[in-house]
Amino acid sequence: MSVDGSWKEGVEVLLMGNEAIARGALEAGVRVAAGYPGTPSSEIIETLSRFAQAGRLYVEWSTNEKVAMEVAAAASFAGLRSLCVMKQNGVNVASDFLLHLTGSGTRGGMVLVTCDDPGALSSVNEGESRHFARLMEIPLVEPADFQEAKEMTRWAFELSEEIRNVVLVRSVTRLSHASGNVVPGSLPVLGGKAEFLCDGPVSDPERGPVISAPVVQKHRLQQEKLRRAAQLFETSPFNVYAGPEKPELLIITSSACALYSREAVAILGAEGRAGILKIGTTWPLPPALLKRHLLGAEKVLIVEEVLPFIEDQVKIMAAEQAREIGIKTFYGKYDGTLPMAGELNPDLVAGAIGRILGIAAPSLPAAYREKLGELAALTPKREQTFCPGCPHRASYWIIREALQRDGRRGFVCGDIGCYAMAVLFQAAGFHTAKTLHAMGSGTGLASGFGKLGPFGMEQPAIAVCGDSTFYHAAVPALINAVHQGADLTFIALDNSGTAMTGFQPHPGTAVNAMGEAAPLVDIGALCASLGAPVFCGDPFDPVRTRETLNEILETEGVKVLVLKQSCALSPEKKGKKQFLVRVDETLCRGEDCGCNRLCTRIFRCPGLLWNREKKKAEIDEVICAGCGFCAGICPAGAIINEEAARA
Amino acid sequence: MLNTERKDDQAEKEIIRGGQRELAERVLDAGLCSGCGACVNICPYQAIYRDRTVVLHHCDLAQGRCYACCPGAPTDREGLLTGLYDAAELTPELGAVKGFYIARAADEGVRRGAQHGGTVTALVALALREGLIDAAVLADAGDGLLPRPATVREPEEALRLGKSRFVVSPAVAEFNRAAQGDAGRIGIVATPCQALALAKMRVQPVTAAYGGIEKLGLVVGLFCGWALSWRGLASLLGKKTDLAAITGMDIPPSRYHSLEVYTQGGIVSVSLDEVISCVRESCLSCPDMTAEFSDISVGSARLPEGWEAARSWNQVIVRTSRGAELLELARRKEIIEFREVPAGNLEKLKAAALNKKKAAERAAAAQNDSILKERTG
Repeated sequence: MSVDGSWKEGVEVLLMGNEAIARGALEAGVRVAAGYPGTPSSEIIETLSRFAQAGRLYVEWSTNEKVAMEVAAAASFAGLRSLCVMKQNGVNVASDFLLHLTGSGTRGGMVLVTCDDPGALSSVNEGESRHFARLMEIPLVEPADFQEAKEMTRWAFELSEEIRNVVLVRSVTRLSHASGNVVPGSLPVLGGKAEFLCDGPVSDPERGPVISAPVVQKHRLQQEKLRRAAQLFETSPFNVYAGPEKPELLIITSSACALYSREAVAILGAEGRAGILKIGTTWPLPPALLKRHLLGAEKVLIVEEVLPFIEDQVKIMAAEQAREIGIKTFYGKYDGTLPMAGELNPDLVAGAIGRILGIAAPSLPAAYREKLGELAALTPKREQTFCPGCPHRASYWIIREALQRDGRRGFVCGDIGCYAMAVLFQAAGFHTAKTLHAMGSGTGLASGFGKLGPFGMEQPAIAVCGDSTFYHAAVPALINAVHQGADLTFIALDNSGTAMTGFQPHPGTAVNAMGEAAPLVDIGALCASLGAPVFCGDPFDPVRTRETLNEILETEGVKVLVLKQSCALSPEKKGKKQFLVRVDETLCRGEDCGCNRLCTRIFRCPGLLWNREKKKAEIDEVICAGCGFCAGICPAGAIINEEAARA
Repeated sequence: MLNTERKDDQAEKEIIRGGQRELAERVLDAGLCSGCGACVNICPYQAIYRDRTVVLHHCDLAQGRCYACCPGAPTDREGLLTGLYDAAELTPELGAVKGFYIARAADEGVRRGAQHGGTVTALVALALREGLIDAAVLADAGDGLLPRPATVREPEEALRLGKSRFVVSPAVAEFNRAAQGDAGRIGIVATPCQALALAKMRVQPVTAAYGGIEKLGLVVGLFCGWALSWRGLASLLGKKTDLAAITGMDIPPSRYHSLEVYTQGGIVSVSLDEVISCVRESCLSCPDMTAEFSDISVGSARLPEGWEAARSWNQVIVRTSRGAELLELARRKEIIEFREVPAGNLEKLKAAALNKKKAAERAAAAQNDSILKERTG
């Protein structure tokens, strides 16, 4: 990602989708931006943080998405334009506040950008945030390319100010993390003093208290605002039609699917038969616009990700407009033309269009397909696992050995972060981690398991929680466990950063989103203040840490073990080896009884290789991070750590 | 000397092959693990934690020393005995009997610090002092009576660890560990299951390397009717006394039907009815009462004069020339004193040993019945 601080007005530049969104917010004069790291959204706050300046732009990584939204809302109430950024599940976290915020309304323009992840490329769900627009009765716009990402975001602030409510801008991975040409616009002169006018009567949305009550009255007002947006949407330049006046097939699409649809039509050579209506103002869908286009076609295909959001609304409108437009044949997700799970791509869309229009979609040449098969057989199987030098591998090793000794079939309730891999790829976590849900859920679940003793539950539950996850969501669950007297071993994996999403800071790091020094909230101290016994350990000191864990597993109540060791990719460690590690082949036992490849078969750090000819283990000097942990597990003492020379 | 010459194919026939999977299915999960520790410290895959043998990680070798050396795994005892001992000296009830004695440590102080006649303690201390061995694996205890084996180098340390424990400590795991260090000839005081494990280790065909068994210099076997599970015993005694104050334990002859616990505050007598429920499950199917796979085996004596006289004497079975030489050395140096063996003593011992073999057969048959029922029921 290239961040050119001097993006010039009118000079075309290659921008990532997230950068384009950030630029759009800057062009709208955003003053406050808050979010929580979540792929594929994180670069928006990161980009804005580079432009942060006291009094001009404040950028924050909040502890969770609900807090981020509240922080942004406060700026809006004080008359400033604010931006709130998250991935799809973040909206779920913020939804209770969003429900009340959309009821109370906003003042300074407030835009909620959500970046969904169809196909779950970096998520453990492919939930959709679009339905929140319908649920919360706010407008939703979806950019379909990079220029639009910028334009729409900028315009969304204007819309928000006009209707005095939040506007949802929804992006997807293939837009947020892809790059395209953008011509930046002008940056405004920033002005306006932050002031919260609240002395007026409750009925005054501009000068009274900001509340969602009286509810029914405010709800009606909210719906009026939405109707106003729908009016504006009828003539929005973000809804674009390209194709024949009366197409054989009308394709209604939005977001990245618009790009897939265009490409699919081109692949089939069907430009003369299919027309594409790209919707940018997805909710409320403008009925008059839709009627105009439905009139001209018999067959309608809706192409969107992931769930049939537009498809539902189009069919409802078609039913309402049936007398005028006639009966249509709809193709989409409900009839199986396109899948209702997973992301789409040009081939899938071309296949669908081809089936409807009776055009054979070109297939791969046989020779090419054969070559593909050959290459697939050659490519090494790479499984997802922790980085070399990752302290989580060491932590889970310790947990495994402790649980096996404990002997009561204990298990780990996992949580979100790099360490989630222990649940998704059981070998990476040495088969200890058995549940994975939302941020902080591991602690809540373990708190629940910890109350099942009277029902005959003998298996000890361990909650494993990262540092950022701790601040985000685990604290209320931990308080619950203490107060309810649950038997819970809580292990905090403190690797000094929000690593999985790109090493963003959090309250456990002494720096904030804008790179300034910031006060630290210590995890161990916070847990101790709850009244739970707190133990500290270093995952790279396995024997002592494992003994501590075995001892606390046998005690009742809530016990906290903080395992502190920084991420292998953190600034102080990245690229620097503490040890030069090598294998002494004369000592290596290899496949023999007495070892059976413990390091390459079970431990499986990517830095350890198995040489099939020599039948010995070896260290890949390029991949090895030099942490030295593997030397401690080799039963033959064949792995040697030499102190690396300090450069 | 113990005969270690075996024909390879004979060894092949007698060891039924298996790896960690068989160990887990047929021994650990089947309740047949005696906690001897033979499968520990030979590889990173098993450990003993608080008197339980646990699998740490999965090993997929089809054949491993863990199963080959496990006394709870199927064993051809007859083949092993004829291979390791003089066939002419083998008895059906007691294994090899080169000689049978009533003996005890000559020094009363040694007897007081040890168990019964103190013969084991005196012999081990002598072997260390004379350099016949340079290390001895003995049983110690940790917090709350948790069995904890210890390797000692000095004769005085051996004198300190003379009390009977009635809980099997993972002595073979400690042997495995000590054998990787600088000890050259290691002696061990072994229960029958531990002695069997060591015998299997001497003939296992899985791997020649990483063993350490060649360092085994002396096996002093202990007579054993059954051993107790640590968890059960600690829980039972913890209700009756402060575990930290316990200085020793004894089980007098069966007619007393009790476990005697010696504490700093006096003797606590526990009915065997309560103790029986703590017997380790694996003991029920063990046929060996006198540690048949030793150089020399020692137990408490039975005398016509009664328990009060007998409790300070030992019965001793010498099985190998190494055992005979050690006992003879002890006699010459007046470390051990002897008394006449009463008529019928050896027969009584054989009868008791035979009872244990019958009980083991019955238990094995009952287990087979229940497996059959499970499979056909």
